[in-house]
Amino acid sequence: MAMDTAEAVDTGSAAPSPRPGGSKRRIQAPKYALAIPAWTLFILFFALPVGLVLLYSLGEQVSAFVQKPNVSPSVWSFDNFGKAIDPAYMPIFWRTLKIATIGTFICLIISLPFAYWMATKASPRWRGVLLGLVLVPFWTNFLVRTIGWQIILAPNGLVSGWLQDLGLRDAPLALLYTQSGVQLGVVYNYLPLMILPLYVAFERIDPALTEASKDLGANRFKTFVQVTMPLAVPGAIAGMLLVFIPLMGDYITPSILGGSAGSMAGTLVAEQFLTTFNWSKGAAMAVIMIGFILGALLVFAILGLLLRTILRGRRRVRLPEASA
Amino acid sequence: MSTATTTPVVHRKKVDWTKQALRAWAVLMYLFLFLPILWIVAFSFNTGRLLTVWNGFGFEGYQALFNNPAPREAVVVSLIVGVLSAIIATVLGSLAGVALARRPGKWTIVFLVFVALILVTPEIVDAIALLPWYVQLGQGWNLTIFNNGYVRLIVSHAIFSTAVVTLIVRARLSGIDEALEEAASDLYATPTKRFTQITFPLMLPAVLAGGLLAFTLSLDNTVISSFVSIQGTTPWPVYVFASVKTSLRPDIASISTLMFILTVLAISLVAVVLKRGGDSSGDIAATMTGTG
Repeated sequence: MAMDTAEAVDTGSAAPSPRPGGSKRRIQAPKYALAIPAWTLFILFFALPVGLVLLYSLGEQVSAFVQKPNVSPSVWSFDNFGKAIDPAYMPIFWRTLKIATIGTFICLIISLPFAYWMATKASPRWRGVLLGLVLVPFWTNFLVRTIGWQIILAPNGLVSGWLQDLGLRDAPLALLYTQSGVQLGVVYNYLPLMILPLYVAFERIDPALTEASKDLGANRFKTFVQVTMPLAVPGAIAGMLLVFIPLMGDYITPSILGGSAGSMAGTLVAEQFLTTFNWSKGAAMAVIMIGFILGALLVFAILGLLLRTILRGRRRVRLPEASA
Repeated sequence: MSTATTTPVVHRKKVDWTKQALRAWAVLMYLFLFLPILWIVAFSFNTGRLLTVWNGFGFEGYQALFNNPAPREAVVVSLIVGVLSAIIATVLGSLAGVALARRPGKWTIVFLVFVALILVTPEIVDAIALLPWYVQLGQGWNLTIFNNGYVRLIVSHAIFSTAVVTLIVRARLSGIDEALEEAASDLYATPTKRFTQITFPLMLPAVLAGGLLAFTLSLDNTVISSFVSIQGTTPWPVYVFASVKTSLRPDIASISTLMFILTVLAISLVAVVLKRGGDSSGDIAATMTGTG
């Protein structure tokens, strides 16, 4: 509402009707004037560089010793994409998608009861502290947290030691440098990004709504499924996006916990830029990675809409007088 | 909300198993969230030559840190870059936030899409885009300032920090009725006075919180930094990342522990500033994840 009045006031002052005989017309700064410095930064150091990546993906490598590819329009081709979807690389893209999808759903499932507890069951007096305890790992350096797991997952580390003590294994377990190690690492690293939006969603639910549901005879389970959960869906979607997208491009977790068995698309792209110096191929791989992300989001969106239609159809209450 | 506590009849409370199960789950989640952090802190007191093998308790890791200039220099680089990029991000982000909240129009949507894209793009894409871009600017077009490691790091970090500050300031100002500022104008305040005496004090908590977040974002940035930094201007996460690939020594855990403490201090400060500004815990959570 404040926005509406602001707009109304603005159009009044920012666009004065040109008076026919007016000699002095004040030049009004455009509305976005104050944002121009930020615009400049974003265009010069985000839009243009990312555009350059697209251009590089069409170019060709000059030689193994020159990083900068030839990008004159005469050599433009999709050859780099052909090289990037080579059978040597394709499994890594699919593995990335698998790790990211499984990781996102594990995060969602383990965060749901936790965020729900924090927002509704925990004592309000402690809520700030409880939340702060989630923010601490979130703001701890990503790399440091991953190194922590490297120590824990090492063959002589905590997890392997426990399993041996419990008699579940007789030899040291190598979780480090495997796909499972990476899976655990990404679930851990992106977990706060799922917990926090879910918490916000649960916290903003008006208690009157759940009370009304109980007054109308629904038990706790029914209230949770039919009132609380639907209201938390926006938080869940936000969390899934916040986890899935950066997870698809993760470079640190696989390069510390993955080794060659657990490498992901991010490591693949980085390798082309940092060790092989084939910028064109690396750029094409990055474009493919973004394609994977967008494709997966599209599929998730379609599945989500389908699920919603099905659930809505089942939940519909038919009231005879409603049609009148 | 509950009024059950006033019930005069004393009887044994039925155990709420759902609540107990949820609480137990929460305890497990906190253990999981803190496990690697506790491990790093514990292993920073490891005396062995290898980080991953526990040898004994001691301060060798911290001593190594003070005897070796490389990690110290890396921390100094990080602090310089953090402060300067935070200043840039705070100024640009605050200006953009004011414009978004007080001068909305068709441009707002385009700008917000831009901000969202910057926040959502995987860091690795920014990193591989910026490296060739700096090479092009510095060597291709002879803008030699972009051959400077500090400039590269500061500009790179300022991009996403500006996006974050913009959203925080916009959220703050959108929640405040513009009538307060209009009243100032009605009472003959000049536009400058109106800004310095009304608008700015109102948005100050958001500006401070945004600036501190920008500082910590810069302090923690690893992926983009490891692509754009050059020899001599290595920020501390890049130093650690490079060390992890060669040899894991206990001083890696020690430097990580020290920086962890610094980050926690900065973040606590953000929370205090936001709390004083009147935000609820949910608002703070939303702000700190950029989902507000």
